[in-house]
Amino acid sequence: MIAIEARSVVKTFGALRAVDGVSFKVERGETYGLLGPNGAGKTSIMRMLAGLSPISGGELFLSGLNVAEHSRAVRARLGVVTQADGLDGELSVRQNLEVFGFLVGLSRRQARIRADEVLGFFRLGDRASSEVDELSGGMRRRLAIARALMGEPEVIILDEPSTGLDPESRIRVWEELAELKRADVTLLMSTHYMDEAETLCDRIAIMHSGRILDEGTPPELVSRHAGSAAMDIRPNGSSRESIRRQLDASGLNYREVGALFRVTGGHGAPPALPTIDGIQVTERAANLEDVFLALAGRGLQEDQA
Amino acid sequence: MTTATTLVPETGFIRWRSVHAIWWRHLLALSRVWQVALTWFVIEPAVVLLAVALGIGQLVGEMEGFGTYAMFVAPGIVIGTAMFHAIFECSWSTFERIGQSYYETALTAPVTIPEIVLAELLFAVTRALISTVAVAGFAIAFGWIPLAALPGLMLVSVGVGTVFGGIGLLFAALSPSMHALSLVFTLVATPLYFFSGTFFPIAVLPEWLQPVAWAAPLTPLVELARGMALGELGRVHIYCALYVLALTALLYPLAVHLMRRRLMK
Repeated sequence: MIAIEARSVVKTFGALRAVDGVSFKVERGETYGLLGPNGAGKTSIMRMLAGLSPISGGELFLSGLNVAEHSRAVRARLGVVTQADGLDGELSVRQNLEVFGFLVGLSRRQARIRADEVLGFFRLGDRASSEVDELSGGMRRRLAIARALMGEPEVIILDEPSTGLDPESRIRVWEELAELKRADVTLLMSTHYMDEAETLCDRIAIMHSGRILDEGTPPELVSRHAGSAAMDIRPNGSSRESIRRQLDASGLNYREVGALFRVTGGHGAPPALPTIDGIQVTERAANLEDVFLALAGRGLQEDQA
Repeated sequence: MTTATTLVPETGFIRWRSVHAIWWRHLLALSRVWQVALTWFVIEPAVVLLAVALGIGQLVGEMEGFGTYAMFVAPGIVIGTAMFHAIFECSWSTFERIGQSYYETALTAPVTIPEIVLAELLFAVTRALISTVAVAGFAIAFGWIPLAALPGLMLVSVGVGTVFGGIGLLFAALSPSMHALSLVFTLVATPLYFFSGTFFPIAVLPEWLQPVAWAAPLTPLVELARGMALGELGRVHIYCALYVLALTALLYPLAVHLMRRRLMK
């Protein structure tokens, strides 16, 4: 059963193609991540799906419904957490939930009961009568997710669920999202954090400049683009120029990131490194960040070509 | 499955639940600051009414066809104050809600822009009505307006809410900043408050200015209110009522169009 389907979706703002022919499918119960830097087109896709932004080209479907034609019915099945949270500072925590519940179609009584449920689920019960402004960043985000759950949606869209949160709040949000996943809710999320995508998502689309560069499970993507093992080289006496020259000569895949040279492409064993003096080498497992660097690097070169 | 997930038919209709829920949210927000709201609705207009009716009224004396100056000016102040409430709600408060992503959140529910606009106008009407009951209540207590005129004044306030709520929404939708938004008060609300036959009859204005004053959107509402207060309604009041209806019919689709442009990108 397909929960979300995008067919060659395009979003233009004047001359800018923010989303440039994107296609993907999300199965029911799956957590699907759009991973990419700011400006990759992730938010535009989510806003089009939520009916907050007109679709410039292609088609979007939610549970088989065409979003452009059935926006209202689509939104009745969708819970959306925007980057801005959109919490209502003039209402209490509980009122935020109840008023939204009433807005999506619950009776006042159903909204009260449902508010209790989601407050309990997000461990916000003791903050029910607080003002929104009194909540920490993590609590605000959890309240925004709780609000999206008021109408018991089939699909939840999360735009960068943990951006701006401290490490502990982040993990808490992750735990709660994992809990939702166990309840068979379909999640579509955007993120620019590799660890978040790796932890939460069943499948990932790596986006850059409005296009999907590749799609797959995190391990698939890693093995396809970065091999299984990688190493970080830190200059320790040797000049960067000399390291660069020797790596180029060896034909290895590498990227310079900050102080490091990140070498990828080892299969089963670390990449075979030529003997270079004056460096410090750390071997590690390849990860999504390596994939992203490899893919986005290529994407950038295409852009410039 | 809850009602939220039942299939809702699409376009060309108003889902009243959306309007009701947004209106309820505004009422709830207002009721949470009722102590402060009380000063807007009661103390501020009471000061204006007393100063004008008792102070300036002493200098003016009787007015041909209207009785005392207080009896002339009271319906004007009732309607002028209601106008400020309607404009404030749909310009200032709406602008703030745009900035705080309130509408963006509402639109993630099965809600449409026309429903948002209707809810805003309905709440502008609500605020205009509360204001009218409060200010007219004062004037009734002092004997400047007969009690029997209250339902009529309330009816006129509905028109105040739709017309000036609509004007407020245009400014909220078009203003790039709070500074730009403040123009709705300096360019619209304040001039209208003084030049719409509220504090003096339009006939005393220079001749060239009179047609402008007659065309101003607050004028027909003040005329209607004064007719209600004096219990004298004539042909001119039919024209006034038609003018108010025409303004509402014009402003609503324009507000929907501009709010859509503002909120959908």
